[in-house]
Amino acid sequence: MDVASRRFTWFYALSQLKLKYRYTSLGFVWNFLEPALFLIVLSLVFSVVNRMDISDYAVFLFSALVPWRYFEKIVNTCMDSIVGGDWLLKKMYVSPFALPLTRWMVSSIEFLISFVIVLALVAVVEKPLTIHLIALPVAMVPWAMLGLGVGLISAVLFTFFRDIKTIVQMTLMLAFFSSPILFRADLFADSTLQASLVRWHPITYFAALFQKPIYYGVWPDQLDWVTAFAVGGLALLIGYMMVDRARSQLYYYL
Amino acid sequence: MRNADRHTTAVFELKDVSVSFEKHATKHRSLKYMLTNFLDGRSSPRFQALQNISMRIEEGENIGVIGRNGAGKSTLLRVLTKVISPQHGSVYLNRSKHIVPLLELGIGFQPDLSGRENCCLAGILMGYSRREIRERLDGIMKFAELGEYIDEPVKNYSSGMYARLAFALATDVKPEVLLVDEVFGVGDEFFMRKCMVRMQRLMRAGSTTVFVSHNLDFLVTQCQRLVWMDRGSIVMDGNPLEVARAYRGSEGLD
Repeated sequence: MDVASRRFTWFYALSQLKLKYRYTSLGFVWNFLEPALFLIVLSLVFSVVNRMDISDYAVFLFSALVPWRYFEKIVNTCMDSIVGGDWLLKKMYVSPFALPLTRWMVSSIEFLISFVIVLALVAVVEKPLTIHLIALPVAMVPWAMLGLGVGLISAVLFTFFRDIKTIVQMTLMLAFFSSPILFRADLFADSTLQASLVRWHPITYFAALFQKPIYYGVWPDQLDWVTAFAVGGLALLIGYMMVDRARSQLYYYL
Repeated sequence: MRNADRHTTAVFELKDVSVSFEKHATKHRSLKYMLTNFLDGRSSPRFQALQNISMRIEEGENIGVIGRNGAGKSTLLRVLTKVISPQHGSVYLNRSKHIVPLLELGIGFQPDLSGRENCCLAGILMGYSRREIRERLDGIMKFAELGEYIDEPVKNYSSGMYARLAFALATDVKPEVLLVDEVFGVGDEFFMRKCMVRMQRLMRAGSTTVFVSHNLDFLVTQCQRLVWMDRGSIVMDGNPLEVARAYRGSEGLD
């Protein structure tokens, strides 16, 4: 990316964040409130349906749901970033990476904020905060890579095929409900089909990076780290190559 | 064609550049449409916006571009600013030159941001750093005659104020290369004159300019070279007086 596009990405992301909170009276507080409300509703529903110990299940659920929501948000906002950026891309040269990157930065900063909620909740329900929490900043990295990678891929696909949005969203939903975010991976006996599905599900390892330090109070395994970074890196590479290949074509489809 | 002076450096050089757009492009943007089109073996009609354009622009040249609506003038400027990558031909851009495009007033302006913030954003897109913009902000504000409105969101500006700010920003510094698409239809009489004076000063100071305009008198008096375009091709390229006479003749104006 050229210097101007880099500067633009930074400044535009910061001004988007500023704008978001400038005209709301609740302002910054809203950022905490919205994810908190969402998580409270979900934990109530699921703990009643599943008849689980409320506080225990809440901690389990939030630990992986918050990074998942972050991932989903990046993909959804990146998807229409290039198409929605026609006001700029059709009139002035700016790298096609600039707008998806802006969305990614905004989501990342908001994620960091909502993450404070999770930690506060862990403390409230009297789960001891352990030393393992220091792994979390690093655990965020593969999620961010995966989000940006899938975001770039869907941004390119959406530019050429405007009906791809539903397909991407369905895929995300499928990935979510089949991964051990809502349920514990040890729910199934080792030999069952479900257990092997979970074992081959990449999100299992991404989720473990957060569930293990927060809920189980242990370090994530080496396998978790390696798988998550490899999958995240691969997604990022494919996304980069797709945008790079499509860049000269984009104008004609905006 | 002009005989190229071996001692000057080219700022732009186009060789055999062609750009075409699909007609009825809205229907093509879905997976469904592409598949049915593919199965039926249909290909869509295309509209030729630029046809085998070859031209060389030397450093310090002031070039005017004339032609009817839809002749390809704006497409040509978009090729020069890298916004469009042509399907055929090669485009050489001198990367050491600071190119400032002024295809439309207020590109990159965000309605909710203040005039000051928009100066930063649009300035960054033009390739300046934030420090450079901050240093010039006083001069820009003075030229744009905005007063205390500089800290208001630009959505509250009148169209004249908006245009003044955008123009002041684009021409406050001395760009090495300035590409202008008909942008003087805005602002009051007095401001328009101020703009013209500023443009003339830039041209005399040695900036390379490419100027698309319908104001033939301005182009004839200010440019050393005039390019007449029609239906995507260059009809005539050379001495402003001769080209203007031929152009007027073809339109039955003489």
